[in-house]
Parts: sequence; structure tokens; C-alpha cells
Amino acid sequence: MAEKVELKTVEGVTKESTQSIIDDVLALYPEKGKKKRAPHLAPNDQLSGKACVNSNKKTVPGVMSARGCAYAGAKGVVWGPIRDMVHISHGPVGCGWYSWGTRRNLVTGQLGVDQFAMQFTSDFQERDVVYGGDKKLEKLIHEAKELFPLAKGFSVLSECPVGLIGDDINAVAKRVAQDLDTPVIPCNCEGFRGVSQSLGHHISNDTIRDYIIETREFEEPIGPYDIALIGEYNIGGDAWSTKPLLEECGFNVKAVWTGDGELEKIAATHQVKLNVIHCYRSMNYMCKVMEEKYGIPWIELNFFGPSKIKTSLRKLAELFDDTIKEKVEAVIAKYDPQMQAIIEEYKPRLDGKKVMLYVGGLRPRHTIGAYEDLGMSCVGSGYEFAHSDDYDRTAPEMPEATVVFDDASEIELEKFAEEMKPDLVGSGIKEKYMFQKMGVPFRQMHSWDYSGPYHGYKGFPIFARDIDMAINSPTWNLVKSPF
Amino acid sequence: MEKSKKMRQIAIYGKGGIGKSTTTQNTVAGLASLGKKVMIVGCDPKADSTRLILHAKAQETVMDKVRELGTVEDLELDDVLKYGYGDVKCVESGGPEPGVGCAGRGVITAINFLEEEGAYTDDLDFVFYDVLGDVVCGGFAMPIRENKAEEIYIVVSGEMMAMYAANNISKGILKYSTSGNVRLAGLICNSRNTDREADLIEALAAKLGTQMIHFVPRDNQVQRAELRRMTVIEYSPEHKQADEYRTLAQKINDNKMFVVPTPLEMDELEELLMEFGIMEVDDEENVGKAENA
Amino acid sequence: MANNLGLAVKPVTETPESEKKRVAEWINTEEYKELNFKREALVVMPPHTCQPLGAELVAHAFEGSLPFVHGSQGCASYYRSTLNRHFREPAPAVSDSMTEDGAVFGGQNNLHEGLENCIALYKPKMVSVFTSCMPEIIGDDLTSFIKNARNAGLVPEEMPVPYANTPSFNGSHIHGYDAMLLSILQTLTDGKKVEGRCTGKLNLIPGFDANTGNFREYKRIFSEFGIEGLILGDISDVFDSPLDGEYRTYPGGTPLEDAADSINGKATITVGPRSSAKTFKWVEDNYAGTNESMPMPLGIANTDAFLMKIAELTGHEVPESLKAERGRAVDAMTDAHQYIHGKKFAVYGDPDQLMGYISFLLEMGAVPYHVLINKGTKKVAKEVQALLDSSPYGAKATIYHKHDLWHLRSLLMTDPVDAIIGDTHGKGLARDAGIPLFRFGFPIFDRVNLHRRPIIGYQGAINMLTEICNKFLDITDETCDERHFEIMR
Repeated sequence: MAEKVELKTVEGVTKESTQSIIDDVLALYPEKGKKKRAPHLAPNDQLSGKACVNSNKKTVPGVMSARGCAYAGAKGVVWGPIRDMVHISHGPVGCGWYSWGTRRNLVTGQLGVDQFAMQFTSDFQERDVVYGGDKKLEKLIHEAKELFPLAKGFSVLSECPVGLIGDDINAVAKRVAQDLDTPVIPCNCEGFRGVSQSLGHHISNDTIRDYIIETREFEEPIGPYDIALIGEYNIGGDAWSTKPLLEECGFNVKAVWTGDGELEKIAATHQVKLNVIHCYRSMNYMCKVMEEKYGIPWIELNFFGPSKIKTSLRKLAELFDDTIKEKVEAVIAKYDPQMQAIIEEYKPRLDGKKVMLYVGGLRPRHTIGAYEDLGMSCVGSGYEFAHSDDYDRTAPEMPEATVVFDDASEIELEKFAEEMKPDLVGSGIKEKYMFQKMGVPFRQMHSWDYSGPYHGYKGFPIFARDIDMAINSPTWNLVKSPF
Repeated sequence: MEKSKKMRQIAIYGKGGIGKSTTTQNTVAGLASLGKKVMIVGCDPKADSTRLILHAKAQETVMDKVRELGTVEDLELDDVLKYGYGDVKCVESGGPEPGVGCAGRGVITAINFLEEEGAYTDDLDFVFYDVLGDVVCGGFAMPIRENKAEEIYIVVSGEMMAMYAANNISKGILKYSTSGNVRLAGLICNSRNTDREADLIEALAAKLGTQMIHFVPRDNQVQRAELRRMTVIEYSPEHKQADEYRTLAQKINDNKMFVVPTPLEMDELEELLMEFGIMEVDDEENVGKAENA
Repeated sequence: MANNLGLAVKPVTETPESEKKRVAEWINTEEYKELNFKREALVVMPPHTCQPLGAELVAHAFEGSLPFVHGSQGCASYYRSTLNRHFREPAPAVSDSMTEDGAVFGGQNNLHEGLENCIALYKPKMVSVFTSCMPEIIGDDLTSFIKNARNAGLVPEEMPVPYANTPSFNGSHIHGYDAMLLSILQTLTDGKKVEGRCTGKLNLIPGFDANTGNFREYKRIFSEFGIEGLILGDISDVFDSPLDGEYRTYPGGTPLEDAADSINGKATITVGPRSSAKTFKWVEDNYAGTNESMPMPLGIANTDAFLMKIAELTGHEVPESLKAERGRAVDAMTDAHQYIHGKKFAVYGDPDQLMGYISFLLEMGAVPYHVLINKGTKKVAKEVQALLDSSPYGAKATIYHKHDLWHLRSLLMTDPVDAIIGDTHGKGLARDAGIPLFRFGFPIFDRVNLHRRPIIGYQGAINMLTEICNKFLDITDETCDERHFEIMR
């Protein structure tokens, strides 16, 4: 696994300079807040390969965090992208409404016929809180089954009130599943659980383990190149780039978890030979379960930018025979010149530019290589909901002494940008307009800013175009008025 | 919500089964017989806070009706506000069976609804909240939030658990009194004919910094009236028990003693119980030993 | 064996194309519609969202006000990103990040720590607190929590901290808006009423309105009148701030002193009678001047009434400039009437806006046909019916007040119309029905700058008309056969 790490530096960035910026940021806090935030901000120690910050801790109240909740991790991230299920936001109307079509996990099929990327809610009223919502839940799943007969299953995603009043959705799910002979997955992902989206991922992984996996089997015999693509959510069509790429390399991608996902294929994933994981943070749990339970090995890959793609594909090929190795080399040989052409087009316009990242649990490290392919360097990076193992993986990717921030608050990001002077910030919708008002070019790196895909060889040209467009848009020349 | 100054809002707390509802309704009937305008808001999912006033088995509750209509927005005041003996306005918040849902939220829903729909009319002299057992969550403390009940009476008897509960409720009042105007107004002793009961409750009241506002003796006339779903005051206005409740009503009407309570530590409370022989002095070493051990 | 549901293990199957085709046709049928309308528990694509979203909108609308969600941080992130997406602007707001321990022990510690931090970090002039589900269910008492925070010295003495209970399982975003606005006004005006004082200003309560263009239009109307107006909850500069290289946490909003003095205003008008009902009722009881509740000025008659009311309350004549503007709007409507007269519309929205769209359509001789009230009550349904009854063009309308967009889809498929007026969430329906969607409502996630173009007033009427008629003309050009493709339309 270990790649040789070369020390990367950014001119003018030292541990001392970065620490001094961090100290200035911390000085903004009251004493108690400062104490809590300090362990979450640090200069990177690139060669250590170790996390330099604390993570996965409770958010400090009142700081303007970008974090979401367990429900968001369950509904938005893991379950929502499975296209052929009805995902029920169980509780008041808001949670489902806010997460309705706002992640860009694209799906195949026709809405309401064989894909269900819409909002289903039990729309709790006072009476449902006071009397409990179990009966309503039971009834509404029956109604959904009638109205959406091609749905392959139902997920029940609990919102805060359900857990607070002590409803027993697990009992309802089991009863209705048997009545309808259809999977009904109870997911106790109330937003008050845990410290971020991350627990929602974990809870969802556990429900896949407890209710889904092994409930289906592929009819065709299993072949040596049968793999599953895990932690690929098809944002802006990413899976429609990565899945064909793996197929071109000679693999049969039997299931995608969970982008444009199909429930039954996910349920039969215990039969594959290898799990290829992209978003480690949200799905490592099930990779580990499948490894332990069914002996399926797993491998972490990176599909951002030609350098990382090349390394990843070769790493993957190492696990297989010459047939695959040859195909992989052929694929690399085919796409490398195309990617080189893209780099030649954009690098002159982006070389030496600096980017600062603040995203969820993967991209703050995984996209760095793609920026570097374009001649850019990363001067700061951080996650909303990563754990220590993510920061371990981040250290070697980031240049020495650049700033690492965990669960950053808005004012921290503002100050870091002021001091580190990035030419681009890649973060989320809540951060976007603050940076743009500051005159800092920005791309949403959760949703690809309504563009994409960014994964794979199909994605890199789009990524490069978007980054160039963001940094070099002529509108930036108009920010300062002449009077 | 600005309330008319003259309206007094009173919450009645006390251990479950102590006779809160019966005491409240008889007292309210007493106030009504004094010519006072009163509203009772039952804050207990059992919804038995108004039946003696209404002569009803069970009043249709706010939450029942909300459940039927789907949303609280479509509910109207007339659906759930009924008039009973002495023109007393009666509302029950209602709520679920034990073990499901969130009864506390039912209390919040109901009181918000009453405020929004203008149930707290200026002509009212008293609003009584009859609240479920002990304060079990924030919802059951709703009646003593700011601008709601500022006077609390605790119904108690000489039984040990009732006194524990009274002390716990006092702790709750203390907590709320730091930010609002809620005060303990007295203990109502609903007699269970235990030994030296009046003295004991007087002593407890003194420790809590309050008064025993009245000692209501035990009398089967109360049960006889209840069989007819009536208060004693209505059923047998001449009976001596009716006098007791009228006296209690008059005392509440005249009460000026509103205090921030000084709840007892557990040791203090146990000492008090030992002093009155409710608890054996040698209890400590016998803890956990069976009678015949 | 991980199958905790007790279902048999089965092979992976593919739904046959023929089956997909059958269902795709079936969901457009009358039979499906009937089944769909039988639903009692399931809600599919509701057009409304929860109270705190509205609370946050108005909490942004006062100068230096920092919205503060008492509850889970995930809730705050959802509200913020909704506003970010709609306005394409920042929406700085904090939460006190309550988690499981808060659910058990109550949220006072979170609230206190949150207040201390957000005041130090973001230097607000006011912190506007509202609740998400968790504290509402466990019964947190904001009154005492905030009082305790003051007693503990966590909030500067002079800093207002209005707070509102905004349970998500009751009402919709418009009710949260109302609750928060009410608390802000109650807090700011407390003790500010001065007998005999009159600011001379006209207060305007816009209600839940996420169109910054409307706010600028209100201000323009005031300036045409030559009167001093004060919008109570002014989002125009907050959610339409300049890009000049400097980020401002609080780029605008109603000044707090002005809001405090609004209690001594000359008069107060609400044009959001249903999204500011409680606030207005309180204003009527407490504000010095005359108080009037008006329909949102959408369309000519509503705008006429609005202007006449301003004239009446302020003693100023309706200025010539606005009279001329009215004439131009009527001219535009007459010129364009043939492109919209008789066209059938499905309309949905929050009650105040919805009634405005309907008035406008009736004025144009267009036919409101399927009318869906966001989170409607019986009372509002009656009011909408009365409006429809006021015109022969309203006779064909049917009102749906307990329904969602999946119901509306069935209506569109079985009883087609020419267009939808709604918001972004109607786009799938419009696509399936093959008709245009006019995004006059909230939210708009998929078009630029529509929140900047006013739809209120005479200019707003012209704007709505232009969008609608030109879209119909585009459709004619795109779909007519070659022989009917003409230069003139």
C-alpha cells in the first residue's frame, strides 16, 4: 500500500508561520472555546503519515459549523442514492425536504416508476409526536407499496422525534416486510446521534449488514473479475465514468454502493471477489465486515486526476493476473495522451495556483493529486466529519506545514483564506458565497457545483475546465470598481 | 402573551394517585361557589381532571381532537372547551397510553393552542393546571413556565412516597424560580389518616419554607360524590366535607404566601420521617434485609 | 445469515422493460389518481417545509442579527444551505449543536456555551434564537434558559435575544417566520412605546417572501410616494449584497433602532396576512398607529388597494409616476392578453402568494384550475374559494388544501392544464406533463436571478406577464409545424 512519499513544500509556508496563523484564529475564541478548538487545528507533518489534529468530536456550540447530522449521513449519503427503493424520511417534513435532490447523486430510470429520487415523508404533526408514529409508518409503507409497485424495498430513516419519543420502527419494519414480502430497512439515524454525518454512515452500513447483505444471490456464476465498487455515489454522474473504466480494465462491476445503486445487487455483494472502495470514510465499515465475514479483500483507490488514476489502476492490477494487468496498461496507454492534452491546455493557466479545501470525509485528500496534475498546490485542507484514519491518510498528500483544520467554523475558514491567500477554495454551498464575496474563486466540491463527473478519465477534463473557469473567469476582474 | 393581571394561574402537582384531580375539582367548585370564574386545564394524558365538573366519563381532549383532524391548525376552541358546574371552563390536554409517543409534548401542544385561540379570557379569576404525577420531562413543566402558573400547590399526604414527591417537586420549583416568578404557595394535605399526619405535613411545610394551607380530612362522601361524577360541593353542598373544600378555596383565594422553596436533602427528609416514626431509626443496618431474615 | 427481516433469499432480478412501461403508463391514469388520492399517511413531495426555515429567513432580516438554532447542528446546516441555494448568497447562522446528552438533560448548557461563542466570534447586535425538533419535544424552556444566560453574564446586557418556539411538526415555514418576527418585534419594542410620539413612518410587514426584488420594489414605491417607509424584516441587502472583495457577515437588514421605534409608527401594513398573522395581531394590540392587513400586492387590483391604502394612511396622493406605471402595466396586459386568456393553470404556493397568483390570473382572463395550497387549512381554503368565486374565470378551479405535489402530478396527467405556477420542486411534474413551470415561489434552486426580479406591484405584474406569455410563444415556435412557423406572433 505504502507509496514513497516525497516531501512537498509551499513557498513561505513553515510550521511556525502556520502555527502563528492558527494562534491568531484561536485568539478569537473565548477561553473555553479556544481550549476545545485548539487540538483541531495544526500544521501538517507530511512525512509522519499521522493525523496532526483531533477529530470526530462534538462540535463546539455556537461556532458556525458546516456539519450535518446522522440523518443526513444516512439519507443523503448512503441510502438516498439507491435508486430503486423508496426512502422514507420518518418524522417532520423538513429533513426530507432539505435533502430532496440536493446531493446530485444521479440515477437511471423514470421518476416514480423504477426510480424514486423524490421526497417521501411521514410529515409528523403534533399528534404523531404525542401518540407515536408507528401506526402511521405501517400504513404509509403499505400505501407506498401500492403506489410504487416496482420499488424493490423501503428504507425508514428516523428523524429526531422518532428516537426521542421512543417509537419502535424496527418492529414495524419487520412486520411490514413480512406482510409485503419486501425489504423494509429500519435505520435509527436520528440527527441527535453522534457528532456529525459520520455516525449516519456507520449506522447505515450496519443496517446493510443486518438487513440487506446475503438476501440476494446472483443467478450467473461468479467469475474471477467480479468486483463491487463501494463508496461511489455517482455525484454528477461519477459512477458513469468509473464503472465503465473498471469494465474497460476487464472487471465485472457487479454492484455499485450506492450511486445509481440497485438494492438487489447490493444485497448480493457478498459474492464478489474484491471490493474497490473510493469513499473510505462512509463505507469502510461494510468493507471490513465483508472481509471478515466472507473473506472479500478490499482496496482503496483514487479516481481523481490522471496521476492518481494511473497509480490506482496499477495497484488494482497487482491483485490480479496478467489478463487484467495487460488491459490496465492498455487503458492507461489509451487515456494518458488524452489527459496529457488536457494538462497542456490548462496547466499554463493554473500552474503555481494555490487551493484550499474543506469538504466532507474523502475529497480533502483525494482531490489533491488532481490539482497537482494541473500544477496547483494545496495550502490548507480539512474535513467536516473525518476520523483519525482519514487524517493519517491526509498527511502524506498535503505539502509540509500547510494548515489542517477539523470541523472548521466559518470564521476559521475566513481567516485561513485571508492568510494563506488561496487562488481557489473548494468547499460546500454554505461556504461558497462567503469566499466569493471576498473575491476568492470557489468551486463546490460536494456537488461539483452542478457540473461533473469529476471521477475517472471522463471526469478529469471537466474538472480541469471547471477549475480554470473558476479561477480565470473574467468576472473577477470586475470586482474592484474603478471609482 | 400578556395576561390580565388579576388572573391567577395555579398549578397543582403531587405524587400520582394522591388525589390531585379530586382535590383540584372540589377546590375549583369551591371557588366557583364563591362566585369566581375558573378554568381547569387538565395536563395528564389520563384526562380525568374535569369529569367531576362536567359529569362526564371523559372529556374529549385537545389531543384526541387533533388526532382526529390531523393537524392542530384545523382545531377550534369550541371543539375542546366545555363548561361545567359553576360555569367552570374545562379543557383536557389528553395524550397517549403509557409507553408510546410523548405525553409531555401533548401538554405543550394543548397550552399553546389555548393561548393562540384566546381561551385565557380577561374575565377569568383563576386557571388551574392539574398536572400528571411528578415532573417527568420538560413538557410537564410547561404549566409553570414564565407567564403561566406562578402559584404551585402540592397535594401531599403523610405517606413517605408522597412526601418524597413533594420534596422533588419543590426542587423543580426552585430551579424555575431563579428565572421566573413561579413560587410555592403551599402544601395541601389530602389525608390518608396516617399517624400525626397534620403535624408531619406542617413540619415538612416549615422545612420547605411554606405552609400547609389546609388539612383535608378523609371522608367517604368524596367517593360517594365521585360515583355520581360530581364534586362534593355540588353533590352535597351542606355536607361537612363540602365545607372543607370551601375553606380550602377561600384560603387559596386569600393566600399571600408565595415562596421560593428550600427543598430538603435526602438525609434531612429521612430524619424528618424518623422523627415522626414513619421510618425506623435503625433502618440503615437493616436495609435490604427481609422481615424474617 | 444477516437477514433480520426473515425474508427468503432470492436471486437478483431485473424488472422487465414491459413491466416498467406498464407502470409508466399506469401512473398517468385515472385509476392511479384515485388510488393516489386515497393516501392517508404517506406524503410525497410536499411543497412546504418546516417552521425553523422561515424563522431563519426573518432572523437574517434585521441588522446585525445572527440566527441561532437551538437544536441539532444538522438542522442549521439544512436551513442555511436552502437559503444559500435559493439566493446564491451567504447565510451565516449558528446552532448550539445539541446531541444525545442534550436530549436527556435538556439543552441549557449548549445554549449558554453557544451564546458565549457566537457573540465572541461573530459580533452580532442581536442573536435571534429559534428551535428545531429536539428541544421542542423534550420541552426546553427558552424563557428561563435565556434569562439564566443573562444572569450568568453570557449575553451583554444591552443585546436583544429574541427567541421563538418553532416546532417542525406543526404548521410550515410561514408559521416559523411569523413566530420569530413576533418575538423580534416584541423584544425590540419592549419599553419603547412613547405616548404621543409618532415617527411618521409607515411600517410594512412583508411576510414570508424570499424575493429580494420585491423588497426593493416596496422601497421604490415608498420613494415614489415621497414617504418614509420601514420594512420590518428587510432581506433586500442581506440576500442581495454586492461582490466587492469584502465579506460582510451582516450586510443589511432593518436597523434595530428603527425596528424598536416602529411601535411609534404612523401606521403598519402587513401584506403577508397569513404568514404574519400572529405578529400582526400583536401589532394591532400594541402599536400606536393605524394597522391594516392587506393581500400581497400581486396583480393590478391588489396593487391598487395597496397604493390606495398607503395614500389613505399617509395622506399622500398616489403619485403620478405610479399612476403612469399602472397604465403601462394595464397596457402591457392588454397587449398580451391573447396569449394567456383562457389558458389553464395549476397553481401552488404559500397562501399569501398563491392568492396573489390567482388574482393576477383572473385579471388576465386565465383560468386557475388545479389550486394546491401549501399546508392549507380549512380556513385558508375558504378564503381561496371566495377569491375564485369573485370571477367567472375562477369557476373551474378545484382547491386542494391537504395535498402534495404527487397528488398534483395525478391531476396534471388526468386533467391537463397549460402551465404550472410554483417553485423549483414542481419541475419534474412540468417535465412529465410537458408544460412550462413558472417559478414565482420559493425555493428556486435551478434558475438564476429570479429572486431578484420583483413580482409585486405594477412592475411585478409586467414581469410575471412577460415570463408567462413569452414562454407560451417560445413553445409555439418550438412546436408548431413548418407551415405555421411565422415571423410575427
